[in-house]
Amino acid sequence: MEEFKLTTYEQLQEDTDRLLETAEKVGANTWQERVKNQTPHCKFGENGVCCRICTMGPCRITPKAPRGICGCDAHGIVGRNFLRFTAGGSATHSDHGREICHTLHIASPDGDYKVKDEAKLRRLAPVFDIDPEGKETYELAHEVALAALEEYGKPFGYQKMTKRATKERQETWLREGILPRAIDREVSTAMHMTHMGNSSLPEALIRQALRNGLSDGWGGSMMGTELSDVLFGTPKEIETEADLGVIKEDEVNICVHGHDPSLSEMIVEYAENPELLALAKEKGANGINIVGVCCTSNEVTMRHGIPMAGNFLSQENVVLTGAMEAIVVDVQCIFPALGPLSKCFHTKFITTSDICRMPDSEFIHMDPTKAGQIAYDIVKMAVENFANRNKDLVYIPQHKQKAYVGYSCEEIIHKLDGVTNSQVDPTGTYRPLAQVVTSGVIRGAVALVGCNNPKVRHDYAHVELMKKLIANDIILVLSGCSAQAAAKAGLLDKRAKELCGDGLKRVCELVDIPPALHMGSCVDISRMMLLVCDLANELGIDTPQLPVVGCAPEYMSEKAVSIGNYVVSTGIDTFLGVQPYVAGSSECTELLTNGIGDWVGATYYVESDIEKLGDMMIERIEEKRKALGI
Amino acid sequence: MALLDRIFAGADAVYGLTVGAIDDAIAKYGEEKAIAFPDTAYSLPIYYGVTGTKVKTLGELKKATETLKALNTREPQLHDGLMSGVATALGAEFLEVLKYIDNPTPYEEPCSGHLPDAIIRDMGVPLVTGDIPGVAVVVGTAPTADEAAALIKSYQEQGLLVTLVGGCIDQAIEKGVKLGYGLKVVPLGKDITAVAHVVSVAVRAALIFGNIEPGNANGLMEYTKERVPAFVNAFGPVDDVTLTAGAGAIALGFPVITNDSNNIDAIPQTLIVQPEVDKFNATSLEARDIKIKITKIDIPVSYASAFEGEIIRKA
Repeated sequence: MEEFKLTTYEQLQEDTDRLLETAEKVGANTWQERVKNQTPHCKFGENGVCCRICTMGPCRITPKAPRGICGCDAHGIVGRNFLRFTAGGSATHSDHGREICHTLHIASPDGDYKVKDEAKLRRLAPVFDIDPEGKETYELAHEVALAALEEYGKPFGYQKMTKRATKERQETWLREGILPRAIDREVSTAMHMTHMGNSSLPEALIRQALRNGLSDGWGGSMMGTELSDVLFGTPKEIETEADLGVIKEDEVNICVHGHDPSLSEMIVEYAENPELLALAKEKGANGINIVGVCCTSNEVTMRHGIPMAGNFLSQENVVLTGAMEAIVVDVQCIFPALGPLSKCFHTKFITTSDICRMPDSEFIHMDPTKAGQIAYDIVKMAVENFANRNKDLVYIPQHKQKAYVGYSCEEIIHKLDGVTNSQVDPTGTYRPLAQVVTSGVIRGAVALVGCNNPKVRHDYAHVELMKKLIANDIILVLSGCSAQAAAKAGLLDKRAKELCGDGLKRVCELVDIPPALHMGSCVDISRMMLLVCDLANELGIDTPQLPVVGCAPEYMSEKAVSIGNYVVSTGIDTFLGVQPYVAGSSECTELLTNGIGDWVGATYYVESDIEKLGDMMIERIEEKRKALGI
Repeated sequence: MALLDRIFAGADAVYGLTVGAIDDAIAKYGEEKAIAFPDTAYSLPIYYGVTGTKVKTLGELKKATETLKALNTREPQLHDGLMSGVATALGAEFLEVLKYIDNPTPYEEPCSGHLPDAIIRDMGVPLVTGDIPGVAVVVGTAPTADEAAALIKSYQEQGLLVTLVGGCIDQAIEKGVKLGYGLKVVPLGKDITAVAHVVSVAVRAALIFGNIEPGNANGLMEYTKERVPAFVNAFGPVDDVTLTAGAGAIALGFPVITNDSNNIDAIPQTLIVQPEVDKFNATSLEARDIKIKITKIDIPVSYASAFEGEIIRKA
């Protein structure tokens, strides 16, 4: 067995530098260059004190001009901007979830989309007040899909998924007036509240930000995750690889990028189509190689072990290898730069969603009723493009790491069953996890999530924090680009147990898992919410008491802010490594880092010094243990 | 109280006792007084295995307590808990060796105290071949003597080596369980520190059969975890000292099964709370992943390799 070593930043940097040489050669523009052009950033925007929500402005707050034209002060402006940021993120996740509901609604036994996890469908039906008893699979699937779609715009009542939280959480949300109603309504309410001449009271704006976040985490995202599992199968442990080395010089490479698994699932299926494989051979390629970037990548890696080429800030690198026949995207976090960049190579940049139209792309409208045919056409287009590859421009960095992925809640419980003693323990529960937490074998858990951000050295914060936390016997659950940072570094390899403290190492050995568990895409953070609630129930406590915190060290998108809001509302302290745009308001800052603790039992912690951020998390976890007497 | 805090408290107690007892002995015999276990080439086997250093005099023993102190770190992590357990095993060994000063036989029948090297060499082959499928370390006093006897017999019938520490020895005698090395039921001693004599067996097995270099503590613990199929059955109430001794067993890779559910935080496959003593056997074998090779034959008397050394006397 070859020696296990993490991939270092220096190695990653070398790979990137080499690819940037190619960029220079072909005259391509990259994010590294664009960051330079944008620096320094506008301080008013960074502090959140610039308001452009009516045409009397733009207004900005200075000591000389403490109020905007309408009279709104810095606290109102920052609060509104924060709420709008949240609404953007919530809308994004929730629309993703909606697409999945629609896909489930057209699933049929002989169609492109089928029900792959019927047991999960039957488990979920009662959440929507549907009795699965005696119902045929697809009849039930359509009924559940319709009920799920109604969650988006129902006139009365609250999100049904919230009933899956702890009893104390549900009571807290109701008491604090943040129990989410219809998903779209919360986005609309946010937009309404932030219109000129409406709310300027920080407390009201931030309360709605929490409710809007909850409508995402316990609404749109959760339905996106759960119904994706029904359609495409609930993830199970699977071995794969990560980093640019997964791109193959002798095969047709197709990169799936974006978030919605409906299209990528089909592409993965058609990459194994014998006719297309024969065509690839004819064109001189030894096969068809699908790789992924961002959350679409996470979706197909969790369910099929499709290798992860990279995360958010790697997306241009994928094209810069010169070996990408097509980069197929759906929605969210797709650099518009990919259009002009792909024009410098033979790469086809294919957009597929009406939500995400970009110049310099080939648009193939993804009609879910014709998904199979569309996927076939796209794969074929990529295969035919193989001959156009300019071999002189090809450089594929050879770094890659083995990764184990697929840790859905169901799979985690399945793995935990492996360490139960049949004479003592029940199976099918989180009890073994509760035991290792209570006994102190592991000190706690950190949910590491979020994006990349050029304000932080690419993946540095993710990986450094991970190394520190696992060395301190803190288990990690990961999603999104954080999970991919871990995968590239090698932290999803089971051999990474060697970097853990004795306690976590022992758990990794017994349960046969890596120290960092890839739980999926960003909508799959809803899995983590269910995990913490079920774990709290197992221990007979509420979520804020758990020695568990959340962390987004390199976050970037509005989605991350919406996620932060629902994670905090679910009772989990959330640590941010990038300053949110709230520094311009002492009142909003106070609320977010302290005041909301009185409402939901958890708050935000902001620290851009990554070393300190890690120490703060460990300290917080130990405080929680002390309070519990464990 | 948090599990690790209890372990630390137990380790502190043993450390205090050890240092106190050594000081008393030095006051009585002087630092140059020789100390040794009988019939072993491994000095104080646990200490020798862990540190690679042989201890020959009371003065050296006193100095060796610095190792205990160094192992008693107090970070709230499993590593520190396990190291405190190792320190406790060393402390127990130190306390035990003091019993042998000017007294080659501090233990009386049926208790064995320290086991000679010859027994370990004798046991090595059947342990490797699986003829002895496991080693049960039974500690404390069972809720009833019947339960203790039934448990010991159940292991004996499966061919395991059973070692006894504490009140279960009298319980076994009360119920007429035949004891002795030949029968693979070895009462070690009635103090909890006597548990050092079975740890000593595991350590010497690693040194003799595993070719572990003395002082290679990690290699030693790896070997015992992989190759010595031992486990501990600790009857409640489990006090802090017993608990920290349990941590020592866990450091060697041996699971601990107890019927004490009071203030004990279970750890999967490691520290298991099994309230019913009659399920200790099944729970323990599963936890240590011991598969019994023997086919059970339905005959009116017990049947196992353990009875091979039995002597039949005239009535």
